[in-house]
Amino acid sequence: MSVLRAQLRSRAANGHAAFLPQIRKLVFEFCTSWPSSHPTRAFLLNSLQPLARANPHVEIVVKERIHKEPIVRGLYVNGRDKVISLKQLEPTGIRKKVDLLLDSSGAKIKPLKSRPVESSTESPRGIWSGLHAPRPNL
Amino acid sequence: MGHVQKRLLSSASRLASVSPSVVPKFPPRDAFIAEDEVARPSFDPELWASLQPAASSALSSFAHRVGLASVISSEDDVRQACTHPSFIEVYRHHYPQEKRIPKSNQQLSALGNSLLGLFATEYLQAKYPYLPTRVQKAALTAHVGPATLASVAQEMGAAPLLKWHRKPETPTSPSVLHADALASIPRSLTALIYKKHSLPYARKFVHSYFLTRQVDHRAMLKFLDPKKALKEMVYRFGREPPKSRLLKETGRFSNSPVFVVGVYSGADKLGEGFGSSLKMAEFRAAEDALHRVFLTHRPEHEIQLPSNTFPTGLGDVFRQGPQGSYEPPELTAAEIRYASSDNSKAAPIRPRRV
Repeated sequence: MSVLRAQLRSRAANGHAAFLPQIRKLVFEFCTSWPSSHPTRAFLLNSLQPLARANPHVEIVVKERIHKEPIVRGLYVNGRDKVISLKQLEPTGIRKKVDLLLDSSGAKIKPLKSRPVESSTESPRGIWSGLHAPRPNL
Repeated sequence: MGHVQKRLLSSASRLASVSPSVVPKFPPRDAFIAEDEVARPSFDPELWASLQPAASSALSSFAHRVGLASVISSEDDVRQACTHPSFIEVYRHHYPQEKRIPKSNQQLSALGNSLLGLFATEYLQAKYPYLPTRVQKAALTAHVGPATLASVAQEMGAAPLLKWHRKPETPTSPSVLHADALASIPRSLTALIYKKHSLPYARKFVHSYFLTRQVDHRAMLKFLDPKKALKEMVYRFGREPPKSRLLKETGRFSNSPVFVVGVYSGADKLGEGFGSSLKMAEFRAAEDALHRVFLTHRPEHEIQLPSNTFPTGLGDVFRQGPQGSYEPPELTAAEIRYASSDNSKAAPIRPRRV
């Protein structure tokens, strides 16, 4: 079994030195006339700019989706996208869904077959989060 | 989901998406077909979409995602880094009147490739001093080769920003595939950091994104006759010739025997191997001994990189300036040339008296 040059590659280790956030784009789609989009419009007018400034790695797009319910779509570097309906959500609820998209990796949610481990003691070293790891400051 | 839907999804994700901010008039004029006009070349919407530039918000978010927003402040630089030379021909063909032709990343890619090779080579040489030359070359390809570069570009999210055009192989030029075009982006980014900032920063970029990735060096070491190779290596180091001894065994004459053999040089155990036959166990023990030598690595804090001697701060390597510190390591024993492709008639290497 020889070593073939075209097959020589390395495997990703995101977060070992530098962390690449997996979300690349957020698209907000809302209706300009229907009342169901009113909380979304309020969110876009008030909270969107600070959100964009706090997350410069995300490209934020605002689109019109006339006579339809409002949605937010997150696009990820693995090519997948996640769509969440913002119907019947107030700005705080919308913010929660947006945070969900920002934190996600874009991978498909696989249901766990086994029960996750529940511990009564705290983890001694803390739980690692790539989003809170030091970014490469170049 | 059926395979047809999966294929549709994957091909849809590969289509270029055009941002309304970069297109002043939509639909484009070429898309309109007048009934009574002379026959014109048909409009291909996919091709048109692939010729439109990327949105500035996408480029700026890409720069931030990679951590280069402070270094590469101009979005034209990012745009140039993401434009493969194959795109330029097609652009010129479709917009012959256009004076402002986008710049390609060909020169940046060539410079970046050299830089990647430099940083990866010095790091691997310093980290694995005993690794054979051919294996070091393979490790270099694994760390900064085209497959890895394409992967890294995909993980950075550069695929929607890439401007390229597929080219079939011709007698005069090689083919241009998606992976080749994607691989040019990290090379160009490295070159841009070197040009806009400095060599140490380019090195830090390469170390963070390429040299911390997982590579299985053990899988690259293949032996034809490890016992013979071990014998030569032990002779080189001036030690007693290797002798294999049976350490443990079970199940001899049954259908699943297990033998554990250790290979010794005097009183020192060099390696250990298991097997279902004595010969196989001996083979694996010799392999283990060779792996322990070849895969020895220096700890991170002891690694000294020769590129530290280039001047730090803004500028290229040809300027004079204050150098960083560098302590050259002790020279290790030369590699054994058994079963290598080297056919030189050089004098045989004498054992080193330790």
